[in-house]
Amino acid sequence: MKKDRHDSVINNAGSNRIVAKQSNRRKFLLRTGGLIAVSALGAVPLRGWAAEPVNIGALYPTTGSMAQIGVGCVAAAKLAVEMVNDAGGIKSLGGAKLNLIISDVQSDTTVTRTETDRLITSNKLSAIHGCYASALTLIASEVAERAKVPLITGSSSDQLNKGRTYTFTPFARASQFARTQLQMAKLVGEQAKVAVIFENTAFGTSTSNGLKELAPGEGVEIVMFEPYSAGFTDASPLINKVKASGANALFSLSYLNDLILIIRTVKQVGLNIAINGGSGGFVIPDFYKNVGQLAEGLQGVAHWNHDVSEEAQRVSAEYKKRTGEFLFEYAGGLVAQTFMLADALERAGSADPQKVRAALSSLDVVKGYAAMAPGGKVKFGPDGKNIYGRPVGVQWQNGDLASVFPKEDARAPLLKL
Amino acid sequence: MWETVAQAVINGLLIGGIYALVSIGVTLIFGVVKIVNFAQGEFVMIGMYISFFLSNQFGIDPLLSLLVSMPVLFVAGVLIQHFLIRRVLGPNDMPQIFLTFALSLLLLNLALMLFTANYRTVHTSYSDEALHFLGLYVPVAKLIAFVVAMALSGALFVFLRTTDLGKAMRAAAQNRDVAMLMGINPDRVFCVALGIALALAGAAGSLLMPFYSAYPFVGQVFVLMAFVAVVLGTLGNVIGALIASLMMGIAESLGIQFVGADSGQIVVFSMLLLTLAFKPTGLGGGRAR
Repeated sequence: MKKDRHDSVINNAGSNRIVAKQSNRRKFLLRTGGLIAVSALGAVPLRGWAAEPVNIGALYPTTGSMAQIGVGCVAAAKLAVEMVNDAGGIKSLGGAKLNLIISDVQSDTTVTRTETDRLITSNKLSAIHGCYASALTLIASEVAERAKVPLITGSSSDQLNKGRTYTFTPFARASQFARTQLQMAKLVGEQAKVAVIFENTAFGTSTSNGLKELAPGEGVEIVMFEPYSAGFTDASPLINKVKASGANALFSLSYLNDLILIIRTVKQVGLNIAINGGSGGFVIPDFYKNVGQLAEGLQGVAHWNHDVSEEAQRVSAEYKKRTGEFLFEYAGGLVAQTFMLADALERAGSADPQKVRAALSSLDVVKGYAAMAPGGKVKFGPDGKNIYGRPVGVQWQNGDLASVFPKEDARAPLLKL
Repeated sequence: MWETVAQAVINGLLIGGIYALVSIGVTLIFGVVKIVNFAQGEFVMIGMYISFFLSNQFGIDPLLSLLVSMPVLFVAGVLIQHFLIRRVLGPNDMPQIFLTFALSLLLLNLALMLFTANYRTVHTSYSDEALHFLGLYVPVAKLIAFVVAMALSGALFVFLRTTDLGKAMRAAAQNRDVAMLMGINPDRVFCVALGIALALAGAAGSLLMPFYSAYPFVGQVFVLMAFVAVVLGTLGNVIGALIASLMMGIAESLGIQFVGADSGQIVVFSMLLLTLAFKPTGLGGGRAR
């Protein structure tokens, strides 16, 4: 007993500490995450003969509470890499193929930090994309910033554009979502009185603050402004409050499970109110599957939609063939991101992450898969924001998510309740 | 104003009924077998998936699937007690804690592997319906869940008071050693206690299904509340757990209504800490009943 303790003290001491930690981690992975390890290995093809492949890291939550979306993202990431490779890879690098290295961040901020670190230190990466939830992406982008590896992401938190030089956000920011939502609310009713409920995380807080700041300028009155903790058991008290506020439009900034509860409860209360579900869990196919008829006419806002351009429709059709669902917002955005990376690599003529970063910062595309975004143009400003980025207003119509706002991006008219 | 308060109380009471089913199971196991079952939430999750698949595959109403989920989980409880928990019952607490904790992690990760993390919902004719009166509303699915939960709690109470086996369980809860000296077979009593506790968790799962989504982590949402209710209502006290669950549901609902929607847990846990500060044995008065 005494001897054991003595040994363990030595093991944990000084410089060996990190090694011991890693081996524990390895053991842990062996026990719990064998599956993930296998799938990650499977993504490394044996190609010694052609030009050296370019490694792209993909950080997505393929297990844990966000697994469902993470798995969809990985499917889209694989599809995008295949498309680039089938078209001849990176020509300026002798036709080098993109090699996707997938890492599971387990829907967990701590794991995201260690996985991002591990991915960067154990592979020669040219760039990274990820991680769906802004809370996770913020951490990954910090790690990537320190390691000087460019990270390109569809996550919408405005914090991603602060104090970072290696983070690129080709799509609309959370604060921009707000303006679009407010403008849509004005189209539905006369004097718009909006109740805003949002989950108290980075995503919900930044989006809702944008709404609050912009509302007076857009002539929209906010009659209720309420954060809630995600994962509640009962939405009734919250909806009770919405009812008491006398709002005629409800903005709910929530992930899927909470949103389903909220919408069902609104129906039970018999509240007649235009609901804008924002983005997140609202704009994925599973939402309609879960809510069914109740989803019809609900509005949302997205940084990408599968009908924004001909290219988008083509990719979505291919994705649907593979998975049975249309290509959802985040997954579609990351297909475009992969093509932006390919464009940057082509112009950099190098797999060196710092040169890729420089090439990304001078990216300027107006057509092709890299430009499939609302607005159809991508060019990064000094803060890594796409200067043309704008969100698209969407509405569930006959089981499909149709782009309805603004006019330039609309593929169907906005239906009023 | 009174309408808002009344509505908040109704909402809290209804969800409190579900908390009660989970917490009564936890407190029953603690009272009789003297172990903390960390996996109770996962059995709620299993109950939900049973109802989901029966509804999805065979079109069976989630409420009817109670007749499947409860017996299945009862048997699971008996087996778990007989083959796992019985072997670690001894003076040392750690193996027991880790056993149920391991069971929780195992079931959770198995569910993730088998069912994926997708949210599964069942849509019944009464899922979105509500009764309206005096400007208030009562969602039908939750009302049914509440009534069934109270009926099951009542049945358990009658069972514990009137049957020999029930009395034996109460005896074991009050003093295991003396109960054994009186000729009570602890193995049998423990198996039945585990069975009943898990059956209640299964019932909670089936009752939740018409209005809540099933996903592997769902148990964790409810088990936290259940543990608070168990401590609040005095460990091992069934009636205490029931009352504490209803109180917590109402406190949470009022908290959301009048303090803020992210304060539900603040209110509940403040309530717990205040109770423990002034009445460390819980509201039930420190006696297992």
